[in-house]
Amino acid sequence: MALRTLFKSGVVLDIYFFKNNRSAFLFTLIWPYLTLTLIIGMGYLFGSAESFKQNVGVSVDPLMYFIASTLATMVSLDVMWGIGGSVLEHRWIGTLPYILLSPNRTSITLVLTYIPRYLLNAGIQLAEFAPLIFVVEGFYGGLFRLSIVILAITLGMLPLLGFSALFTSFLLSIKEESNVLGWLNPLILLFSGAFYPAYLLPRWARIISKALPSTYTIELARLSAIIGSPELRKITLLIGALVAMSVIYNSASGLLIQAGERKAMRKGAI
Amino acid sequence: MLKLDVKYDVLELRNRGYSMSEEDSIIARNLRKIYSTYLRKGLIKRERQEVHALKGVSFSVKRGEVFGLLGPNGAGKTTTVKILSTLLLPDGGEARILGFDVVKDASKVRKLIGVSLTVEKGFFWKLTGRENLTYFGMLYGLDGQELRASVQQCLELVGLTSLGVADKLYEEYSLGMKARLSIARALITDPEVLILDEPTLGLDPPSARTLRELLVELAHKKGKTVLVTTHNMFEAEILCDRVAIINEGKIVALDEVEKLKRRLAGKVSLEIIAAPPAKVPVTSLIETVRSLIGAPSKAFPENGLVRLKVVQPLERVEETTSRVLDILHRKGCKIRRVEVKEPNLEDVFIHLTGRKGF
Repeated sequence: MALRTLFKSGVVLDIYFFKNNRSAFLFTLIWPYLTLTLIIGMGYLFGSAESFKQNVGVSVDPLMYFIASTLATMVSLDVMWGIGGSVLEHRWIGTLPYILLSPNRTSITLVLTYIPRYLLNAGIQLAEFAPLIFVVEGFYGGLFRLSIVILAITLGMLPLLGFSALFTSFLLSIKEESNVLGWLNPLILLFSGAFYPAYLLPRWARIISKALPSTYTIELARLSAIIGSPELRKITLLIGALVAMSVIYNSASGLLIQAGERKAMRKGAI
Repeated sequence: MLKLDVKYDVLELRNRGYSMSEEDSIIARNLRKIYSTYLRKGLIKRERQEVHALKGVSFSVKRGEVFGLLGPNGAGKTTTVKILSTLLLPDGGEARILGFDVVKDASKVRKLIGVSLTVEKGFFWKLTGRENLTYFGMLYGLDGQELRASVQQCLELVGLTSLGVADKLYEEYSLGMKARLSIARALITDPEVLILDEPTLGLDPPSARTLRELLVELAHKKGKTVLVTTHNMFEAEILCDRVAIINEGKIVALDEVEKLKRRLAGKVSLEIIAAPPAKVPVTSLIETVRSLIGAPSKAFPENGLVRLKVVQPLERVEETTSRVLDILHRKGCKIRRVEVKEPNLEDVFIHLTGRKGF
């Protein structure tokens, strides 16, 4: 079956959902600003804007830094927990068995039908922050920075797809009814450098940081905020790291996903 | 509507030990399923317990046949349906749909079946019936004009367009409308085989009748193979060409309804309905009566009354009737009805399983 149709079914579902749920659409618009407020608040816990600039070592607008971090963090982590969350939602309303009856592999069905929602959320957030970025940076500067953020969040999604499918099969096999690993979110945010640049973290934390794909996504996104004209070499390196991680993480998780799916099917968790 | 070009080699399957004919759409052979549950013993310690849901279930369903899997709650009906639908892996045995193994060829099987597991949920509440069908149609591989035509055709077939509710939100649907939509989804890819778990559960009699008529039409006029599970004996009797009675994970009988009823030749069904006094617990009354009958029987409370059914040879009916009436009188019950009838499918079930109720 064409994967394009599977992807399209996710798009159609979102369009129908928001068409019939205006309030849900409104909250989708408000949500990024709530997260931005949280991240700015967390950032300021580490010190004032001035001390932030001193620590980072360059003249950085903290607001730009946090906008970039918020976007990159939200959208990249969204894909990881969103697919698992959507599975739980489907289980609650009883649609899960019918989704799994799609002739494709379970993990592919769940990931591909969720990606439209991810892209929609990312698009909404970018559109929402765009005016703010244009005001702070001017039209061309803003456009340039926005382009890098778009690149970062698109690439940042790829290494996490395997994780998300793995997490989903884990949720299914343990018959869990809640997002049991949701508590990891703040830790991932911290280690990925969302609140403060990762290179300022203690050494042990930097090791964890390096293994997280979200670190590179955030780094790529915030490059546009920290450096006036980002170096091409650095951007290429980060893109390379994300692509390599996509290959390694998705290949490694592929085997575990298959085992997880079979375990769930054997236990009758669907 | 979507036409799937799937062929299988009957000869090859026969060579591999299947007693499969060209007419067989569904084959289940020695299906076994064990569920593990854990009983908590203290804060950390827990004990593993095994529940044998299926203990070697075998049957086959012919093309164009309505086949009923009949049994009480917990008998293994839903487990069988989930295995046939590729949603659950068996622990032993094999099952094939149109020649394809439900485990090894799950993806192919999914293209050939339409499934309805529950009628009261399984759709998006904030989407209309048409939107829900469109989404699931795409999920199952339909697109463009083919999808739109199929959605419209299915909505018409189950009567949702004539009711004028195809474009209403699912959350506004009655249970009957939800059941119709569930059947429509099962039909969206025009599958060869329909697997329906309790399709009329909770429906009012007119809705249930409409749905049954639709299923019979699909099987007998359009050549679909329909497997339904039910614990409603009346429904099985009027809907199914053949039924398999499943009890405690085993098939205890499999035949045409009339042939099953002939097994009770020379026997009759005695039904007594009584109203017990408020002080007498209904369950203990039922236990007392059943223990004294000593014949396959079924008894259960029904709207504050006790309904008792006994299947036994004609010559013993008089004696049993007087014994039961005597017990009920002594317990202070008022007798509402005593009836002796030709056995029906429910009586066959009672005769084969001797169960208390469903």
